Amino acid sequence: MFSRSALARAFALPLEQATRQSLTTTTFRACLHQASTPSNTSSEEPLSATPRAQFSTPTEQPTHPTPTANPPVTRADVPIAKQPLPPTFMTPLKVSKSLLDTLPLLSTQKPHYISAHLHDRPYLLTEGDHLRLPFLMPKVKPGDVLRFNRASILGSRDFTLKGAPYVDERLFECRVRVMGVDSEPLRVKEKTKRRRRHVQKITSKHRYTLLRVMEVKIKTVEELEKEGEVVVE
Amino acid sequence: MPLRGIRTVTTARNGVGAFILPCKRLDFHYCDWAGSSRGMLAFLKHALPKFATENPQIEIRVSPRPHKHPIITGHYINGREKSICVRNLEPEQIFVKANLLKEASGEKLKRTKKPVTSINESVRGIWSPYHGGLKSV
Amino acid sequence: MKRLQLQRWSSSALSSRARTGGRLQRHLYSSNRFQSTNPTPLQSEADQSFAEEPSIPSTTTPSPKFTKYQLPSPPIQAARESAKLAALHARLYLPSRLPLETLARCLVDPSADSNSQFNNVPLAVLGHDLLTHYTSEHLICTYPRLPLTVIFAAMFAYAGPKTLMAMAREWGLEHAAAPGGEVDPGFLQFKRVAPGTDTNAEPLIGTTRPNEDQKTWRKSITSSVVYDNEFGDPDMAGVPSSESSESAIQTQYTEGVTVEQASASFVRALMGAIYLHAGRPAAKRFFEQHILSRHLEIANLFSFNQPARDLSRLCARENYEPPVAKIISETGRKSRHPVFVVGIFSGQDKLGESVGASLAEARTRAAVAALKGWYLYSPLNVRVPSSMEEKGAAPWKPVYVDLGEVIV
Repeated sequence: MFSRSALARAFALPLEQATRQSLTTTTFRACLHQASTPSNTSSEEPLSATPRAQFSTPTEQPTHPTPTANPPVTRADVPIAKQPLPPTFMTPLKVSKSLLDTLPLLSTQKPHYISAHLHDRPYLLTEGDHLRLPFLMPKVKPGDVLRFNRASILGSRDFTLKGAPYVDERLFECRVRVMGVDSEPLRVKEKTKRRRRHVQKITSKHRYTLLRVMEVKIKTVEELEKEGEVVVE
Repeated sequence: MPLRGIRTVTTARNGVGAFILPCKRLDFHYCDWAGSSRGMLAFLKHALPKFATENPQIEIRVSPRPHKHPIITGHYINGREKSICVRNLEPEQIFVKANLLKEASGEKLKRTKKPVTSINESVRGIWSPYHGGLKSV
Repeated sequence: MKRLQLQRWSSSALSSRARTGGRLQRHLYSSNRFQSTNPTPLQSEADQSFAEEPSIPSTTTPSPKFTKYQLPSPPIQAARESAKLAALHARLYLPSRLPLETLARCLVDPSADSNSQFNNVPLAVLGHDLLTHYTSEHLICTYPRLPLTVIFAAMFAYAGPKTLMAMAREWGLEHAAAPGGEVDPGFLQFKRVAPGTDTNAEPLIGTTRPNEDQKTWRKSITSSVVYDNEFGDPDMAGVPSSESSESAIQTQYTEGVTVEQASASFVRALMGAIYLHAGRPAAKRFFEQHILSRHLEIANLFSFNQPARDLSRLCARENYEPPVAKIISETGRKSRHPVFVVGIFSGQDKLGESVGASLAEARTRAAVAALKGWYLYSPLNVRVPSSMEEKGAAPWKPVYVDLGEVIV
């Protein structure tokens, strides 16, 4: 607690980082590790370099442009924001040096929270939370483990990593388990028309999927190095 | 004694480590004579063995209930139970009902507004009006 | 590391139920079993259970009138026919190497069947040791500065009988109304305490503590390390069997046990059975998935008497400057509901801070916050000693060991 309060004062500013991979290449993931071995050795240099001066203005964060290649249109009636993200792991993860310097502060301060997006709707989750989705998720059974890969905010008590708009999915792991299906009590809506002595009763009883957050983990720099990230300026 | 420890019990979080299916038992009741059990009898004959092998964690009991409509009752690990009357239903419809009981959590149906329920402490802490940027009147 | 021969070593703990051997063997065991229902002296049975290979009794008198109503607990053959037992096995995702017969044996409490070849006592002893070992190493490595009383409370919260009972209930375990050979082996078999029995009335006899009859004597925390059990309670099980009177044990089993004791012994026995049949990694995984995954706020286990005094002693011990309480902000001092925000500072460093309705209350709360911040220190990348038993484990680095709590 002693050192933590001092640390918090020293770094009481959000470390924002826009990481967004927009390229879709045709390389496989298996090729990724082989290709990244030279980059691993080169990544030692920025790590051992002198740390940057503390940036005190979080507003000067560069905003990366939105992806040039639109996500593949799977269904025409679903808006673009709700369609699944294209896989970003075709190319090695690109992280900036400032993110690499400040990521240990975030990843070592537990517990973490995550603002995970599902169908473009945010859910603020911590480990062990119970989540009742406002819809019935198809094709899942109780006991299945899902991994949320779309998050806008990762954070701990003093630090926040914001995505623009989303954090790259290789920076964190958020797993949830399907617990079952719940349903709401029967709702009866009384519908009346004018001058007609008849009351129409419309019933509805929606079903919802229950989830439990198994883990919320932000990867450390060593794990990112093992997966072969590329440091960009 | 300067410091004492307070005895409590840890709270269960089913699914974080191990996952226990909430439904622990399904009771199938039928009647040999009545016509409303026709679909139930067909279900018990043809579909139930497959259902039971797919779900080994559920104990299945089949028992007659003469001169009554057929019902399925699910017993849950929180001590509650849920019953569904399946009179005059086809075997496929009964299969849907059995699946419903299997996947249910056993809790009483409630209308909730918030999607996330948490027992953890707030990660960022609670905002305090007495810290930072105090304005004197 | 060479694979451990658990099955061979554990033959004293595992009795006939665990062995699904040939037909002849089963027949011999069943005849042995039948003998156990006869009123034989307890000592000879205990000797049999500790023998490496249970010797075939020479005085086998197979009776044609063999009914399961005479048995104190369900026979071995019933385990394969019980739907409840198979469902429990599948619900807990138990390893397939753990046979249903052993699971059935885990469900037999000594109050139902006093023969230790058929009840869960040997498995429960092993399971209890494993549970408390894993829990204590996790707690001590994760929070190296926890005071001993809080470690006792946290041990109780993780692996105490109340928690184990809650776990058994959440596994969907059902209790038999009364034990017997005709009962479904999927029920928890135990003899209930007669209604109206006062469980706390009897004096504690047979603990490891000397002068146990002196109720008014002060019990120090240090002595409870030596004499008491893992939860800081009087230790009843630590006495060698020669010292404790056989009749006391006999009456304890025949009088019945509570649901809490029976459920706890089942969970412990299951842990021991998993260790014996599926090995140590499976037991460790079972522990992590079922015990460690439960939620506990360790910060809520503290109950301070004089936190300000403790804090000043702590600062003196650690060579910090003496703690000073300062008002950070306040509102409504003259009103009915004042609020003071008080921080405790040691030199320039703020140790803790809290809010209170009076200056004394705020200062006490701030001292508590500072002490909790000290005691709840947790190092990064914690490893427990038992993680070295895994294959290909990284070289062991010594964990952080603290001086201990403040002695006032």
